[in-house]
Amino acid sequence: MGRLQKLSFVFLFCLLISVLAFIKTEEFTVPKNWPVPAYNFKNNPLNASCIALGRQLFYDPLLSKDNTISCANCHLQYTAFTHVDHALSHGINDSIGTRNAPALMNLAWQSNFMWDGAINHLDVQALAPISHASEMGETLGNVLQKLRTKQKYRTLFFKAYHDSSITGEQTLKAISQFMLTLVSSNSKYDSVKRQQSKFTSQEKRGYQLFKTFCNKCHNEPLFSTYEFANIGLPISKTLNDSGRLRLRITQNANDAFKFKIPSLRNVEFSYPYMHDGRFKKLSEVINHYTQGIQRSATLAPQLEKPIVLSSNEKVDLIAFLMTLTDKRFLFNPAFGYPK
Amino acid sequence: MARFSLSLCLLFSVLTLDAQNKGGLKIHFVHPVGDYQMLQLDSGFVFNQKDSMVIHSLRYYISDIKLFQNNLEVYSEINGYHLIDLSDPSSLYIELKLIKGIHYDEISFNLGIDSATNTAGALGGALDPSKGMYWSWQSGYINLKLEGKSNVSPQFGHQFQYHLGGYLYPNLAIQNIRLKTNRKLGSELNIAFDLEQWLLQLPFNVQQHIMSPSKNAVQISIAAAKAFKVWDAYKN
Repeated sequence: MGRLQKLSFVFLFCLLISVLAFIKTEEFTVPKNWPVPAYNFKNNPLNASCIALGRQLFYDPLLSKDNTISCANCHLQYTAFTHVDHALSHGINDSIGTRNAPALMNLAWQSNFMWDGAINHLDVQALAPISHASEMGETLGNVLQKLRTKQKYRTLFFKAYHDSSITGEQTLKAISQFMLTLVSSNSKYDSVKRQQSKFTSQEKRGYQLFKTFCNKCHNEPLFSTYEFANIGLPISKTLNDSGRLRLRITQNANDAFKFKIPSLRNVEFSYPYMHDGRFKKLSEVINHYTQGIQRSATLAPQLEKPIVLSSNEKVDLIAFLMTLTDKRFLFNPAFGYPK
Repeated sequence: MARFSLSLCLLFSVLTLDAQNKGGLKIHFVHPVGDYQMLQLDSGFVFNQKDSMVIHSLRYYISDIKLFQNNLEVYSEINGYHLIDLSDPSSLYIELKLIKGIHYDEISFNLGIDSATNTAGALGGALDPSKGMYWSWQSGYINLKLEGKSNVSPQFGHQFQYHLGGYLYPNLAIQNIRLKTNRKLGSELNIAFDLEQWLLQLPFNVQQHIMSPSKNAVQISIAAAKAFKVWDAYKN
C-alpha cells in the first residue's frame, strides 16, 4: 500500500470518527465521585434537539387548559426551579394547591417524585401537574392537539424525532430530557471537594455540624437520600396532609407523615421550606430541628435524640448551607427561557 | 345499524373461518350483554332482568398473548400491548403473525399491564399516556375502564366509573386468562368478554367510583377475567 493511500485511509478514518462524534447523542456527564444515575438513558438517549424541544415545552403555557400556566410558573430557574415566596403553589384560575412546588435539580438521580413519591418515573411526572385541576387542569391528549396545530412544534418534533406526528411519549420524553440537564454540581462545596477552593473557618465548623446532625438523611454529594421521612412537623389542621400515607399511595400506616427528603443544594434560594412551605427562613428550619419536633410513631429514628445547637452553631451551620449555592446552575443561560 | 354491521362482521368472520390459513390468527373480541345481544355504547339495555343500564365507555388492555399446544408454548407475542376500545371497532381485532400450519389448543393473555411496564416511564403506541388509560396523580396504567349509568346508582345522574388498575402488591390488578380453544387450527378466534356475567358482580348500588388501586379493584378485575370465554364455545 502506497504512502498516499495510507494517508488517505487515515484521513477517511478521522473524517468518519468526527462525523460519528457529530451525530452521536449527547453524553450525560456524571460529576466526579457522584453515584450512578437512576434514570435509564438507554430508553431516552439525550440529544440536543430533544433537549431544545423539552425546554420549549417547559416554558410554554400551552400545556395548561387556558394557556396561562407553564411549568416555569412554579419552577423558576433563579430559585432552583421552585416557586419562590409561595408556600403553596398556585395554578390556573388562581387556584391554590396543597403543597409547595419542589426544586428541580439532579433529577437523574431520583427514581420517584412528588412529596409522597406517587410518581414512579421522571417521564410520567409531568402528567401530574398537567392534569391537576389546581395546576394546569389540562389533559395530555388536548396538549397534543394544541401542539399539532403549531408549525413551530411540528418542526421541533421533526428535528428531535424525525417524525412530526407528536405523540405523548415523545412529548413527555422531551420534557424529561430538558429536566435531566438540570444538574447542579458547581457550588462552593463542590469546588472545595475538588480542592479548587477552601471553606472559611466558619463554613468548616458548619460542615462538621452538618456531618454530625444532618448527613444521614441529606447525604453527600446529592444532599438527600431521596427517601421518605417524618421529621416531626406539627400537623396543619387545614391541610391535614398525611404525606406518603395518603390512602392512594402506600396505604401503609408506617408511612404516616413521611415526605420525600429534599436536597439541600441551592437551599439559600429555594425558600419557603417544607412540603407546605411553612418556614420562610433557614433559621426557622433549624429551630424546628432543635425545638419543634413533635414525637409520633413514625418519627425518623435519626431525630429520636434531641439536637442541641448553640446560637453560634446555628449561624455556622447556615454558613455551610450557603456553600451549597450553585450560581452557575441558577444563572446558566441554557436552562432559561428559550429565545 | 350498528347491530346490523356487527352481525355482518360476525357472519363474515364465520365465512372466512379456516378459509385463509396463511399462518395468521385474527382474534376478535365480542361483548355480549345477554343472549345474542351485543353491547352498544350509549344505548340503554335491561340487565339482571330489571335494571336499566347505559355504558358510555369500555376500554381495556390485553397483553402478552401466548398460544399453547398440549401445554407447550407454541407462540408468544413480543411487546404485545393492545388497547381494546369499544368506541373504535378496529381495536376489537388483534392479528397475530403465526408460523404457517401452527397448531394450538389453548390461548393465554393478560387483562391489564404488567408491573415492569408500569414503571418503565413514557411508552408509545397503545401504551402512550395520552390514550387516557394512565393515572396522572399516581403513576400506573388503568387496566380496565368502565363508565356509564345504572338506575341503581344513587350518584348524581346515576353515574358510575370504574377505573381498575394497580401494579403493586397487594393491589396488583392484572389478571392472566387462559382458555381452551377447542380448535386445532383456525385463522380467526372469537373471544367474548361476557359483560352480563361481569356486570352482575359490580357494586352499582354500593360503590359507584373506583379510581385508584384497591382491594375492590382487584376483586372486580378477578371477576372480569372470569367473564372471558371462547365465544364459539359460549354459543353452544
